[in-house]
Amino acid sequence: MLFCVVALMIVGTQRDSGPGTPQERIESVSKRLACPTCDGESVYESRGAGSQAIRKEIVRQVADGQLTDSQIVKAIDDSYTASLKLVPGGTGFDALIWVLPIVVLIVSIVGLAVVFRRWKMQGSLTATDADRELVESALREVSDKSDS
Amino acid sequence: MLAVSINAAIGRGAILLGLLTCLSGIAITLAGIRKHDLRALKSAPRYAYVAFAAALLAFIMMERALITRDFSMKYVQQVGSRDTPAIFNLTAAWSALEGSILLWLLALTGLIAAVARKFRARVGDELLAWAMVVLFVVGLFFFSLSFGPANPFAMGALGVNDGPGPNPLLQNHILVLFHPPILYIGYVGFTVPFAFAMAALITGRVGEGWLLETRRWTLYAWGFLTVGIILGSWWSYEVLGWSGVWAWDPVENASFLPWLTGTAYLHSVLVQERRGMLRVWNLSLVIATFSLTILGTFLTRSGVINSVHAFSEGSVGPWLLTFFAVIVVVAIVLIGRRGDQLRSPGAIDSPISREGAFLANNVIFSVFAFVVLLGTVFPLIVESLNDRRIVVGEPFFNRMTMPLGLTLLFLMAIAPVLPWRKASQEVLRDRLFWPAWCGVGALAVSVFVGAEGWASLAAFALGGFAAGAALRQIALASRRQGWRGVVGRANGGMVVHIGVIIIAVALSASSSYTRTQEFVMKVGETVTFSGHTFTFEGLSLETDDVKTSVKAAVRIDGEAVYSPARSKYLKQGMDIGTPSVKTGLVNDLYITLEGNVRPSDTEARIKIFVKPLILWLWIGGALMAIGTVLAAFPGKRRQPTAPVSADTATSAHNVNDHV
Repeated sequence: MLFCVVALMIVGTQRDSGPGTPQERIESVSKRLACPTCDGESVYESRGAGSQAIRKEIVRQVADGQLTDSQIVKAIDDSYTASLKLVPGGTGFDALIWVLPIVVLIVSIVGLAVVFRRWKMQGSLTATDADRELVESALREVSDKSDS
Repeated sequence: MLAVSINAAIGRGAILLGLLTCLSGIAITLAGIRKHDLRALKSAPRYAYVAFAAALLAFIMMERALITRDFSMKYVQQVGSRDTPAIFNLTAAWSALEGSILLWLLALTGLIAAVARKFRARVGDELLAWAMVVLFVVGLFFFSLSFGPANPFAMGALGVNDGPGPNPLLQNHILVLFHPPILYIGYVGFTVPFAFAMAALITGRVGEGWLLETRRWTLYAWGFLTVGIILGSWWSYEVLGWSGVWAWDPVENASFLPWLTGTAYLHSVLVQERRGMLRVWNLSLVIATFSLTILGTFLTRSGVINSVHAFSEGSVGPWLLTFFAVIVVVAIVLIGRRGDQLRSPGAIDSPISREGAFLANNVIFSVFAFVVLLGTVFPLIVESLNDRRIVVGEPFFNRMTMPLGLTLLFLMAIAPVLPWRKASQEVLRDRLFWPAWCGVGALAVSVFVGAEGWASLAAFALGGFAAGAALRQIALASRRQGWRGVVGRANGGMVVHIGVIIIAVALSASSSYTRTQEFVMKVGETVTFSGHTFTFEGLSLETDDVKTSVKAAVRIDGEAVYSPARSKYLKQGMDIGTPSVKTGLVNDLYITLEGNVRPSDTEARIKIFVKPLILWLWIGGALMAIGTVLAAFPGKRRQPTAPVSADTATSAHNVNDHV
């Protein structure tokens, strides 16, 4: 089964190669930039005039073929005073947005491991005779009720 | 026109009545608790009914004001118009801040009245009495909001005889009638488990009683929230013209956050019911879910975050933030006070068990919620600390949540087949055999039809794996219980799982394999794209009282004609594109008319999106709703003496499945 999964994944992922079509590049870049004039939308989503202008610039840059997608994003972002990047940077204060979720995930997993370890140690306790008697009397009670 | 509108006078009076009723409800119930006065406690439901009647009357007066075009009222001046069609005039009641709070109030008081009616015979119970107090406090807060900073019945400027009508995006699709009310019912629904959780903390009865009382209320709230979110996605798809269903917009996130914590709670509560464990965790999740609905309301209505959904800046922000802070502080203090009683008596024997899987599920859901919350508020944090504006958008959320989503799919495959307490290797091998082959089959089919990219392939494979596990459970339950095999919490839950899996697969396919092309087409020209022909047959002009629309006629595959349009809303001066969609089981053909266009033009820019499996998003959503209803019905009762976990010592073939 594992062999099947690995083989199929290799076949599937090998297809995922080569540069995208110009249209795909335009869309990919427009999804990485915020609309400068509207509320919380990307250039890809927005139908506003500001986004139309940026989309035109992306189309021009892609057709020009000189810059990579990331360079196009940077060039357009640099030409505006406010940041248009929808993906925060990985340095300085902005890096916190990438680091904090990973820290929270690691802390949660470690916490879970510690709790399981504690439970495991608790689990080694054996039931006393009094515990057993309590369970047996409860079971007898239930059984009597269902018989009657 | 009257100097004081009758609608405004009665509406405001009703709000004041509701406010005073909640205040009296709190006072009388507290007095009843303190003096053990059953007569006083028995009167609490009456206050709940009056509060609901007051909110209903206020809402009716708002609708009346909109229907009779009472432009003496500020709210009607803001969202009303003589030309707005009747149906959108009705929905204008919740198309701006004050009206939406009124709708919230109606849903909330309706729920308080329903709780009061349901438990009317047991009002002498201290737990129920305290739950009513908490519900009245929440009601009092929202009545105060509506009486103070979000007054929907304020008088407007004199001499105004018409208004702009609602935002154009709120008057071009019928879903505006359903999405907000259903979402609000989901939001306010979580007030009930919250009230009982707080009552449990106050009374010290922190066992399983409050959980059992609120089990179905929580399920229904979650179901409504789920349907509300799905309808919102559908609306976005049909209206906004960018062909997407989810943009990680702050307001979308605000509805998704309580859904995530609520879903975590629905799973972890099973551990407490079964094993008496995770008491603090479950209380925290319920409180977090309710708090997040308030935080979401703050984000949506305070104007602190820019969003296409958000209402304009109002003065409700500080009120909501203060209420949120009070809830969090009071909850923490109460949990701290009950620390000793909340300590769970048992232990989870093994991570490879049903409860172990639920714990892992809870960790992933919590981290998921943290990522969404952080991404939503991070721009605010950066702006307040660094005095710099940043935007956090779809690429961040997609990148961070994709591994979490895949992990949840994996857990959905594993958890249903795991027995309680401990699973042996034989049990796992036996129960996971067919689900695992379903996963391999799904992967093989995906590769065969040309799917690519590791993330999508992993989603399809894990989707198949999880679907196999859910179907196996349903098949086993149906064999044992007949038609009841799909009824009850565990079995209905499996139907919900299948809905979630379908949505995950459809989302993965539509986000990875959408093909798009923009064409500049002359009248009569035909283009071929993605195996379909599109013939542009010309432009036409349509005008009504509200808008002027230029519609393109595009014939698809020589059959039906589809008409994407661009509409100019006359009063707002807004230009809105309306897509036209040919829906199919495999692909949707989504067409938009781009740019400025005049009816006399002989060519037009037509954008075509070929979107795979979109219909399955709505089918998955419907299955989730059906599964929720099935889960609310009582399933087959277990015998009290039936074992709750598999005997790991016996061979796999002798092991019974305990759902």
